[in-house]
Amino acid sequence: MTGRISRRRFLRTTGMGTVGLALGPAILTSGCTKKKAARRTLRLLQWSHFVPRYDKWFDPYCKKWGEEHNVDVIVDHISLSDLRSTFASEVAAGRGHDLIEFIDPPSDFEPSVLDLSDLNQEAVKRFGAQLPATTKSSYNPFTKKYYGFCHGWTIDPGDYRKSLWEKVGMPDGPRTWEDLLVYSARIKSQLGVQNGIGISQELDSNMAERALLWSFDTGTQDEGEQVILDNPKTVEAVKYMTELYQKTLTPEVFSWNPASNNQLLIAGKASYILNSISAYRSAQKDVPEIAKDVFFTPALKGPRGSGWACQHVIYVSVIPTFAKANADLAKQFLLDLCANYDRAMWESELYASPSFFNAPVPEGDRGYTRVEGAKILRDVFNAWFANDPYALPGEAKGKLLPLQDAEKWSANVGHPGPASPAEGEIFGTFVLPNMFARVAQGKQSAEESVKQAAAECRKIFDKWRAQGLVGGKG
Amino acid sequence: MKTKRLLDRDEVLGPLCLLPVVIYMALFIGFPFVMSFVYSISNVTIGNPHYRIVGLQNFIAIVEDPVFRKSLVNTCIFTFVSISIVIVLGHILAELLRREFRGKWVVRFLVMLPWTAPIALGAIGFLWFLDSVFSPIDWLLRTWGLLGSPDSLFGAQSNLYWLGRPELAMTSVILVHVWRILPLAAVILLAGMNAIPREIIEAAQVDGAGYFRRLFHIILPLLFPVIGVTILFATFFTFTDMTVVWILTKGGPPPNSTQVLASLAFLKGIAGGDLAQAAAVALFFFPVLAGIAAIVLRLVKKAVVT
Amino acid sequence: MKRFLARSGFYGGLTFFVLFAAAPFYIMLITMFKRNHDLLNPANNPFFFTEPPTLDHVKLLFLQSLYPEFLLNTLLVGIAVVAITLVLAVPAAFSLARIAGGWGQNLAIGIFLTYLIPPTLLFIPLSRIISLFGLEDSLWSLILVYPTFTVPFCTWLLMSFFKSIPKDIEEQALIDGCSRVGAFFRVLFPLALPGIVTVIVFAFTLVANEYIYALAFIQDSAKKTIGIGMTTELVRGDVFYWGPLMGGALIASIPEALLYTFFLDRIVAGLAAGTTR
Repeated sequence: MTGRISRRRFLRTTGMGTVGLALGPAILTSGCTKKKAARRTLRLLQWSHFVPRYDKWFDPYCKKWGEEHNVDVIVDHISLSDLRSTFASEVAAGRGHDLIEFIDPPSDFEPSVLDLSDLNQEAVKRFGAQLPATTKSSYNPFTKKYYGFCHGWTIDPGDYRKSLWEKVGMPDGPRTWEDLLVYSARIKSQLGVQNGIGISQELDSNMAERALLWSFDTGTQDEGEQVILDNPKTVEAVKYMTELYQKTLTPEVFSWNPASNNQLLIAGKASYILNSISAYRSAQKDVPEIAKDVFFTPALKGPRGSGWACQHVIYVSVIPTFAKANADLAKQFLLDLCANYDRAMWESELYASPSFFNAPVPEGDRGYTRVEGAKILRDVFNAWFANDPYALPGEAKGKLLPLQDAEKWSANVGHPGPASPAEGEIFGTFVLPNMFARVAQGKQSAEESVKQAAAECRKIFDKWRAQGLVGGKG
Repeated sequence: MKTKRLLDRDEVLGPLCLLPVVIYMALFIGFPFVMSFVYSISNVTIGNPHYRIVGLQNFIAIVEDPVFRKSLVNTCIFTFVSISIVIVLGHILAELLRREFRGKWVVRFLVMLPWTAPIALGAIGFLWFLDSVFSPIDWLLRTWGLLGSPDSLFGAQSNLYWLGRPELAMTSVILVHVWRILPLAAVILLAGMNAIPREIIEAAQVDGAGYFRRLFHIILPLLFPVIGVTILFATFFTFTDMTVVWILTKGGPPPNSTQVLASLAFLKGIAGGDLAQAAAVALFFFPVLAGIAAIVLRLVKKAVVT
Repeated sequence: MKRFLARSGFYGGLTFFVLFAAAPFYIMLITMFKRNHDLLNPANNPFFFTEPPTLDHVKLLFLQSLYPEFLLNTLLVGIAVVAITLVLAVPAAFSLARIAGGWGQNLAIGIFLTYLIPPTLLFIPLSRIISLFGLEDSLWSLILVYPTFTVPFCTWLLMSFFKSIPKDIEEQALIDGCSRVGAFFRVLFPLALPGIVTVIVFAFTLVANEYIYALAFIQDSAKKTIGIGMTTELVRGDVFYWGPLMGGALIASIPEALLYTFFLDRIVAGLAAGTTR
């Protein structure tokens, strides 16, 4: 290399560059400019599912649906943590996908999406009543608008290691938060295995902290969207968590991301975690000896007998205002998806549960061994949860049985009120994990921390009330 | 013929050369920047592009917010400490890389890797490296008996919980950032050292100037033009970067121990939906930084001209 | 003795830096071939294999994911961005170094100040421009936007570079009958080549690192760049596919690190020329 090039050579190289640049657009955009005149296109934005198998079913399903309706269906998958930023940029651009599926209620997008009251009514007409908690995750009672359509949700049970709980005399796992404290403390001191409830700035901790508050008969808001966090029961819950931390947890729970409690369980280092069955499913694949020892509990009960878990994933689809022209197709797609929900449950390895339990099971070959006499999804659901079709050979039967009535103890973010942009911001900015952590770390007293968190919540609620999206009074 | 003569005139050629950049930057930075400013004095949310101007209330709200104040302090610590470490370590590394030795190519390759790894993926690698259960560092410490039994140096617990303890988490975040920009700093300092006449340094050595005195009083000032720009670039890069923090801790461990302004803006604006306050967080320090930058750059230009 | 100490200090320092830089990559290399069952047992040696290694992760990466496409897309965007950066930054730097006066100084500072604007939120208003151009879901959106962060640094770098080249060389060419532009291409440009190599490598690195614009503007999996593509396919909610993730990160880092290794002397020369006065 001499560091000098002749002018001719320079021109030749740049000339080639220009050709490349000119050809570039043809190569780069050829995929999206081909539009056949008569055929319409429906573009879906999906998160890449926890269970890869689900996507492998969903994409061909969409293609087939498109052929049946003479529509080109394009499905784009993105990471679930990128959903909000991606849709935000589409809203700002005024252009993008026709149907977007979220994993939590996108209630703050209400001004930019279509009111789906008609779709929700039609679905109830076809499939029977919708689960109340899922309605609360798609309907804003203050503006009386359905900003979304919730077709499914995910159970968030307790996952415990039976062999450990047997050794301390509780073979069926904890039933109450008190059990959890007493016995997992014993497991930790006697067997050296810790408890796995997170207090970190991440999703699973956010859900665990909500479940705890509800089970202690408190929460961030009441049914009328009034902030009620600042009360003695919250203080009681915070004190409980501090004790739980001191006796059964380690500082690692402050560091967690959503994958951490799964990995802790799979590593054999957690006696109990709060997570969907995906933690157990990945253990089945990677470390079967642990999976065989994992069993489930329903929501733990608090001191006054209430027991609640937080819905782990809430599948809420929205149709943006800018996609009005394709709204009919998008609505049809959602209705058909609900009609095929047995497949969604099956292909997600029972990760997804339906919002419409009374929807009929379609006739014909469904790609799985038919459940004898099953007429509605409830029948299929009960049969599969009684006898897990994905259990490993030699695994105990009926592990998922405690989850059969999960809808009775599963609540939406915002329970007992609706999901709302205020609840969304409290969730998204980790107000509750911070409230618990400050006390667990000894930085504040429970009373002070609750007071601070309640003040933050009130500010957030007031802000969204000023936007006209949240009810109640400031 | 006429065009050629026209192009020979400074007052034509000068602006003509700058025009593309100016138009480009105005369109792709100017417009969004003005929009961000408008956002910060409006009530815009992520889901509602229709907004009205509300004045300075977003700025007042964030100043009252303890999380913002904490993030501000964290950002300053994060930036100042990382940049200082990078300069010192970068200088040592550059000294080492100047010499001839066997296996030079391999060493160069390995040392450059962190800067070339896409940071989103590099940080995910560190997520594992610093994991609360699986951290290979903890494994080594346990194997060496420094961790995991009652008489160990680092305590009886099985892991150090790198990202779980506030101070250790901040240290980790800084170290990952240093890891990432150290190669760049070393290359630039290497260039600078090559450019300094050997005699000057030798003269200083004869005068008995210590290593750090030589570094801060002679070498760094001489390298100012390139290094000034680079440090400024690295500082801004650090000040506005959220990738490392976002992937490693999301601002945790609670309560917001590693939250920096860039990640807080993302948290408020995207995760929380309040775009207006987020814009206020992002722009809060713009005037101060712009002032500092203008001064440094002026000095740099002066140094270049003389 | 003194020499021995100096030598051991030298190699000790070198070892420290190599370990610091490369340890995570070594773990990536091992994890890439490690069975999950082996990986997820905290008692197992993370620095080597306890169970026999496997090719499953590599197969997943190259045969069942779009990883090769992600690499190719990143390369395409990188090349185009480098081209645009040069087209914009070279004349601007020339003008600022040789022609412009006081107003040019302010302009140069203005260009640099754009780094102060965090891209964290900038992508929202930018997406409006992208849709005006109709470029959503096209690599062109990235090609158009990425020079915003490559141009300022490169302009400044080249500016000090052009300044370091003595004016008389250029004047000689003018006397020989070249036009101003001709003199630039014949004399200045070839002399500035080390600086330009630096700019190319540097711009390329920044492009491969970018994350947030890519996620806002590209949703079609086949058009994603390396950073977002990998997280979409291999971080599934609360399950990280560690093996392929680590392997993908390692493989993506190697080509560029090779570039730096072989061009290091040139890059250093390029930067150094900007320092000498």
